[in-house]
Amino acid sequence: MPALRSEAGPGFSEVFAGAEVRPHYRQLVELLDNLGADELADRAKILDAIFRDLGITFAIGEEGVERTWPMDLVPRIIPADEWTGLEAGLIQRVTALNRFLDDLYVGEQAALNDGIVPRWLVESSDGYQREAHGISVPRAARCVVAGIDLVRDEDGTYRVLEDNLRVPSGISYVLENRAAMTRVLPAAFGEHEVRPVNHYGNSLLSALRSIAPAGTGDPTVVVLTPGVFNSAYFEHAFLARQMGAELVEGRDLLVEDQVVYMRTTRGLEQVHVIYRRINDEFLDPVAFRSNSFLGVPGLMGAARAGTVTIANAVGNGAADDKAVYAFVPDLIRYYLGEEALINNVTTYLLWDADHRQQVLDRLDRLVIKPVAESGGYGIVIGEQASDSQLEDLRRLINAYPRNYIAQEVVRLSTHPTLVSGHLQERHIDLRPFVLSGEHVEVIPGGLTRVALREGSLIVNSSQGGGSKDTWVLREEPVGAIAAR
Amino acid sequence: MLSRHAEDLFWIGRYVERAEDTARMLDVTYHGLLEAGAVEAPTAWRELLEVLYVDEVFAGELSASPVTLYLLADKHNSGSIVSAVARARENARGVRDRISSELWETINRFYLELAAIDLPNLLNRQPYEVFQLVKNRCQTITGVALQTMPRDDGYRFLVLGIMLERAEMTCRLLSVRYTRLLRAGRTHDFHAWVAVLKSVSAFEAYLKAYRASLDPSKVLEFLLLAQDFPRSVVFALRTAELMLTHLVTEGSATAVQRPLGRVRARAEFCDIDQIVVNGLDEFLHLLQEDIWKVAEATERHFFQAGADLNLQSYETS
Repeated sequence: MPALRSEAGPGFSEVFAGAEVRPHYRQLVELLDNLGADELADRAKILDAIFRDLGITFAIGEEGVERTWPMDLVPRIIPADEWTGLEAGLIQRVTALNRFLDDLYVGEQAALNDGIVPRWLVESSDGYQREAHGISVPRAARCVVAGIDLVRDEDGTYRVLEDNLRVPSGISYVLENRAAMTRVLPAAFGEHEVRPVNHYGNSLLSALRSIAPAGTGDPTVVVLTPGVFNSAYFEHAFLARQMGAELVEGRDLLVEDQVVYMRTTRGLEQVHVIYRRINDEFLDPVAFRSNSFLGVPGLMGAARAGTVTIANAVGNGAADDKAVYAFVPDLIRYYLGEEALINNVTTYLLWDADHRQQVLDRLDRLVIKPVAESGGYGIVIGEQASDSQLEDLRRLINAYPRNYIAQEVVRLSTHPTLVSGHLQERHIDLRPFVLSGEHVEVIPGGLTRVALREGSLIVNSSQGGGSKDTWVLREEPVGAIAAR
Repeated sequence: MLSRHAEDLFWIGRYVERAEDTARMLDVTYHGLLEAGAVEAPTAWRELLEVLYVDEVFAGELSASPVTLYLLADKHNSGSIVSAVARARENARGVRDRISSELWETINRFYLELAAIDLPNLLNRQPYEVFQLVKNRCQTITGVALQTMPRDDGYRFLVLGIMLERAEMTCRLLSVRYTRLLRAGRTHDFHAWVAVLKSVSAFEAYLKAYRASLDPSKVLEFLLLAQDFPRSVVFALRTAELMLTHLVTEGSATAVQRPLGRVRARAEFCDIDQIVVNGLDEFLHLLQEDIWKVAEATERHFFQAGADLNLQSYETS
């Protein structure tokens, strides 16, 4: 029996064009067909065991239950030309966002003064931090690591669903997915020229070192984690290991005379760059929450004095607020004089009375998102919501129009996925990771997330989503390699 | 290395050694009492609680089963074996990326194993098995550390923790046994000394060294001073000193080396006969106090960099 077949369903099909398999998937489909269903099930079991044995888990839901990282056996493939376009669009977007944030916190706020983004909107954003004003970042690399969530609409056109510019996570899974894939489907790699991803640690370290305070000869970089009980601790430890950097907690650091040190067995050692995986408000109890024990008292003062660089920069939330997101294409035009290469999903802002009325009239056909949440929490998909849910939402939107946005429903593209032993079409998205340092760089591919429930459009792993290894193919057609 | 990591490793060493030595003391007390009169038992158990500094918090009956359960399995007793193992695991979790996965897995598995066993039941039926299990698993942990860890500072802090704890616990073991035998007028009780030696796996080594003459002051000498027996006080302190010489940068840690050198010399150059006359208990107590000072100096010097800085200005209300 054929392991893979076309299934009609809503959303762009990544693998099939009608009954035909798209060219860049032909070899993979053939390989999976040859393996057969039983063999696929066996390998899926091995895959699961790999992650279980490695202890690669994440916390799910409000209760934080630990579960093994769910990776699907079938990889997602992005052909070289498609990736070239995506890469250019991502670099363009992150470049503009870096410019905007730098302008906002240490510049003239030109975009606000010129009315590109309403000032009140930015200043009322939860992620906007007054404390960050005047703190400069070398090379203006405020988003050292950005995770830009992409989806494909019904036509297969990529669109940006949201920007994650604070502490985006998931890169460790990209690397672990690839490592696991080479173990369970080694043959597939022989037939494809897949671009590697395992240079990430090296690239991240270079980016971080490139933004060390001026005049630092050999900068010391550390990874700052909230600690072992954080749901992403695995990733923090992973990145520290990949970079050969110390993994520190707040209590390992101290600030003396506006210089940050870590406590070592050989005394105090100065720290120049902190890749922090702690949210802004927990970084420094002096500047933010005085009851936080996770941070380092005086850290913001040291950053302001320019003895240490905090990455990602404090206050980036002002630019990944879901309402500010709507203005990113305008920011690209304003700062770079270019049209956005990757467009947004059509978004409605709700403080405008006319827009709000139009949205409220067709609430059951839109997606409503709270502006300050991440991880898929609080999203309401109109057509799946009950009448009473919609009524509650209507009331909230009228009371707090700044707190929500409405978007057209995007039927995410679908990809065959092994679900209880059968390959079935499931909706997917893509989170590529973009690094800013000396230059802006995109790691080929990114994290493909899968909505494992049939028909579901919510792919977040915190909401029960799975993941796929994501292959970006090299320029060279496969035939050319075989002929060499 | 980061002070926090060093501290975690130091305490893994201490807790694992503490669990093992507690099992050894329980073992020797428990089995020693089997052949002793019923009158002796409450005193013996109280003395064991005393050397472990839990005599004031223990509220149960002074007999084998409640005391053993308290020292072995009571989660509310921070000095119990299960508590020590749980803490060793907590510390190991904090340095999971600095220790070998084998070491982490061994510690974790022991913790889970203890949690899965019905300890009161097993203790009732096979106390020997329980003590043996704890000793065996603790030795496995230190063995795995020895075989899988690079000889870096992390390893040295781990061994330093083990050795300081061992030196102190051997002093405690001697004081609990020797004092009691002395009071009971049984310092020449052959079986009692065999039990002491066996409790630190020293019986066979002792016989080889002293050719079968089981003299109490020779036993004392062996457990205090043997240069080549890994559980003697001097051996433990010398190993600790060796670790320390690699941990200090030139001339920087005399604050730790000095008290350690002092206590090692006090032990190494003592006159056993004189000590027995003057009071062994007092001598052992002095050694213990000196070892505490070394541990304190270690904490201060290696784990609290920057603690002397005045950071008051950052305090917020």
